[in-house]
Amino acid sequence: MRFFGTPAGRGIVLLFLGLVFAALLEAEGLRKQAEIQRQGFQRTLALDATRPLVHFSRALHLTTPRHELQEAIGRQGEDEIDTGVHLRLPPPAGPLPRHTGTHVPRKGRPIGTHGSSERRPIGTHAPPKPRFSATHPLKVWVAGDSLAEIPGQGLERVDDPAIDVLPVESRLSTGLARPDLFNWYTRFTQVISTLHPRVAVLSFGADDAHDYMAGVPAGKKVGPLGSPSWVAEYKRRVDGVTRELNAAGVYVVWLGLPIPDGPGFKKSFPIVNRILESVARAHAKTAAYVDTWHLLDDAHGRYTPYLRVHGKLTLMRLPDGIHYTGAAGDLIAAQTLKRLRAVFAFS
Amino acid sequence: MLFPTVTFAVFFMIVLPVSWALMTRQRGWRVWILLASYVFYAWWDWRFVFLLAASTVVNHALAVAIYRARAVGARKAMLGLAVAFDLGLLGYFKYSGFFVSSADNLIGTSWIVNITLPVGISFYTFMAISYVVDTYRRQLVPASFARFAVFQAFFPHLVAGPIVRASELLPQLESPRDPRKVDTSRAFVLILSGLFLKVVIANHLATHIVDDVFAAPNEHSSLEVLTAVYGYAVQIFADFCGYTNIAIGVALLLGFQFPQNFNSPYAAVSLQDFWRRWHMTLSRWLRDYLYIPLGGNRKGTLLTYRNLMLTMLLGGLWHGAAWTFVVWGGIHGLGLATERALGWRPTSSAARWFGRVLTFHVVCFAWIFFRADSFSRAGQVLERLFTAWGQSSPLVTTSVVLAIAVGIAGQYVRPSAVAGVVGGFQRLPALAQAGCIAVVLVAINTLGPEGVAPFIYFRF
Repeated sequence: MRFFGTPAGRGIVLLFLGLVFAALLEAEGLRKQAEIQRQGFQRTLALDATRPLVHFSRALHLTTPRHELQEAIGRQGEDEIDTGVHLRLPPPAGPLPRHTGTHVPRKGRPIGTHGSSERRPIGTHAPPKPRFSATHPLKVWVAGDSLAEIPGQGLERVDDPAIDVLPVESRLSTGLARPDLFNWYTRFTQVISTLHPRVAVLSFGADDAHDYMAGVPAGKKVGPLGSPSWVAEYKRRVDGVTRELNAAGVYVVWLGLPIPDGPGFKKSFPIVNRILESVARAHAKTAAYVDTWHLLDDAHGRYTPYLRVHGKLTLMRLPDGIHYTGAAGDLIAAQTLKRLRAVFAFS
Repeated sequence: MLFPTVTFAVFFMIVLPVSWALMTRQRGWRVWILLASYVFYAWWDWRFVFLLAASTVVNHALAVAIYRARAVGARKAMLGLAVAFDLGLLGYFKYSGFFVSSADNLIGTSWIVNITLPVGISFYTFMAISYVVDTYRRQLVPASFARFAVFQAFFPHLVAGPIVRASELLPQLESPRDPRKVDTSRAFVLILSGLFLKVVIANHLATHIVDDVFAAPNEHSSLEVLTAVYGYAVQIFADFCGYTNIAIGVALLLGFQFPQNFNSPYAAVSLQDFWRRWHMTLSRWLRDYLYIPLGGNRKGTLLTYRNLMLTMLLGGLWHGAAWTFVVWGGIHGLGLATERALGWRPTSSAARWFGRVLTFHVVCFAWIFFRADSFSRAGQVLERLFTAWGQSSPLVTTSVVLAIAVGIAGQYVRPSAVAGVVGGFQRLPALAQAGCIAVVLVAINTLGPEGVAPFIYFRF
């Protein structure tokens, strides 16, 4: 190939100008990237840098080409940030109820009954389980952060035509604490009305276990992770999601966070797990909790990358000490199915 | 730090001008570029910078000792020590879990190891081995410690290659690069094409079909499985070729030439031809430091086949600590041995086209084992290829087919056409060049899926 010799200085200027032009054309995308960073000096710096960039770019209509391209490929509105925690149902008065055994969804399809929504007092016979078959399969929607993907794939692999696993929605680095990154609350509403799942298997919290929370109601302040205000706000969100989905007749399975390698998340993950578990317990008839922490620890309650499955030492965790391998996904899927078989019947 | 990120753009915009400003003061330049490379590497996990530094210190010390030693025995012993150290590092960090679990399943031991794999260890270890072996062979005079440290840690190639030979890079580190003659046009074309391959083609195929199908083949139709197999072939090419294109382009902007790593591999007319075109720097490393030392084709027919198989099996294991990778290498080894036995060298146009189609499909078949996380999953993929025709195939979308078509068609683009693009870019005025760079960057970012997926070859 012919060699084109150019002075290095020209190359540097070209690269600089190219990046500046690209930043102007991409200003709104960069602004969003800055907004959704974790709190800290990097975010402040990025916000300070992108603020004038966006103003300048808008003033010169340089944001238009990107908008046009986004519209052409059906991805308009991608640069918008919605920090709202959209929960339609008002929160219950006082603290979350303990397990009463009498929870009945407010509207939509009832869960765990054959269409009857009458209240059933404690101690009477349990209603027959809703039955699903190959012709009328149970629609399962698996969603959450990066930890949702592998258990979702595990469920997809379950060889039961009575279970129809919808495409897994695993969005990296998202969660219930950061609607600015990706607004799952809006997504839940969309899924309820478009995909009509009967079960939602949700894996959240690994990216929420930090001090910062977006979308906090005006006038409220949330303290650091684990503080009473943080716990109360996160519980409000988990409980709100559970009730919204339940109200639409969707049974909710919360996947707990697994025991992590190293000290990094050893304290933070249990905080999230306690909240997920307590919410599931409070909605015992319409929600369940799968304890992946103890599913994947060793006999001494410690982290282990391997577990013995059918007598074979099998790798369960990826080198980062958090994410699952396919074998762990199958194990979690099996536990999830166990919960679902307790509520639904399959033929 | 990943190449297609704002963080890397900022990092490089600091490193590049300072690098050229210091170029005439070589000592200062070496300190700067080494520091930059260590920062680049520490972005993943700062602890492994010490591992990289330890590899540099030990390999350099042993290379110097090998060079100075007169007795053949002493030189051999030190070479053995260096290779044992390098393979020991690789074995401990990359393969201990694999060997321990294999031993457990074979003889019932119950050891469990928990070791984090340092990113890029396979690449910089292979570069270190080539350095000490070339010194032993008297093909190389050991460089100064600082030059060797830069050679091994130079950030453009550090985490995923290309595997640059000491004889290629060290001479370039001996004297300052000429700031008047930088091949910026080729560099920008390489960087932008690499970003397009990675962000648009590879990420699109991964997220829209490949990952879903390989996770649960039984849930997908034969057409989806077949498309995913072709899709993975294009994905891994776009991912890895994309990375090395960016790496080569970044090095060019810094004034350094890296060897080519891909040359239209899916246009290969035979497997032998494929390995001359795919991950070329690994192929020649395996040839020069494994196949030839094993005897190559000099020790009779049977030993030639043995050497071929061993090289490919170990090449497979280099890619990942799992038996599926060994099988992948085995399929290539068997294919190469068969071609050799048959004397397959297509010459006519028809034979060459037949060879292209056959080679591509053998390569795709082997990729199934490379991509699948277990033999049972690979078996499911193969079975499903034949047992679910006629079912609906929602994952086979226009964009997926288009991405595969672009990936395959790109293999047949003539070098003269690429040179034409580079020449056309070169002739543009500076502002138009900057505008082109900006427009392509924005288009790539907008067309690619959200988020940055890590490169496949980072795992190796």
